Amino acid sequence: MMEKNVYQKKIVPYLDGSLSSSEKAEFEAYVYTHPDFESQIRSKEEELTLVRSMIPAPLIAKDSLDSLENEIRESVLNLLREEPRNFWGRMKDSWEEWLSR
Amino acid sequence: MKRFDFFQLVQPLTEKLYSMAYALVPDDLQAEQLVIDSMNAFLLKEKKSLLHKDVDLTNKKNLQLLRRTYFKSLLRYMGDIGVRRSSQLGESSIVANPEGFRAFFGLDPKVRFVMKLRFEAQFNVEEIEEITQLPKYEVIEKLHNGRFLLLNDLNRGVNV
Repeated sequence: MMEKNVYQKKIVPYLDGSLSSSEKAEFEAYVYTHPDFESQIRSKEEELTLVRSMIPAPLIAKDSLDSLENEIRESVLNLLREEPRNFWGRMKDSWEEWLSR
Repeated sequence: MKRFDFFQLVQPLTEKLYSMAYALVPDDLQAEQLVIDSMNAFLLKEKKSLLHKDVDLTNKKNLQLLRRTYFKSLLRYMGDIGVRRSSQLGESSIVANPEGFRAFFGLDPKVRFVMKLRFEAQFNVEEIEEITQLPKYEVIEKLHNGRFLLLNDLNRGVNV
């Protein structure tokens, strides 16, 4: 009984992924040898599915996505550049920008 | 790494980043702005290491690993900026949120972020620790609180 309580407390951490690998292996071994325990895991899983449904997963409109990607591209091209050392450095940057269009 | 290679690496993350940002600032424009600001902060801070990094993008496994690493780094900046911004916006952002999800947006911004990292992006506790820079016990506590408060709100709704 005591053992069962210990493993019951580990259901949520197991589903959360917060158990260490040795604890996880121990937990899985216990579940494997106690099939009746699975129903309790299933009920916790259902609870977590419910929680998941209460978290918004917004979709971005296609045109907003395009414009956001463009802004990211601009940021990357503007901020991720080495200060051009000379004429050839500047040419290299311009060439890279032209290629990325 | 070339600039355009980096852009190609992060471009597929745009939708995910937007979704994560929306959890912190529930407004389309604010969320888009948060994505851009996080990207800019990341680029400014990591510029040197990015420019001097040699990567083989032809290797698919490498590419996915690198993309995930950058995703986590970008989320770290997003968490920092977004939590502060969300606190500044306060209640108004929740009221203005047209999609509902009041229970979720009623949670503390850090809890919302941790919940999103776990339940949407599927990061494990260690990865969430790394992204949020919170100690493990706080990550676990936030996950627990978030879950408890959401389910509590649902039960209250059923009982009314």
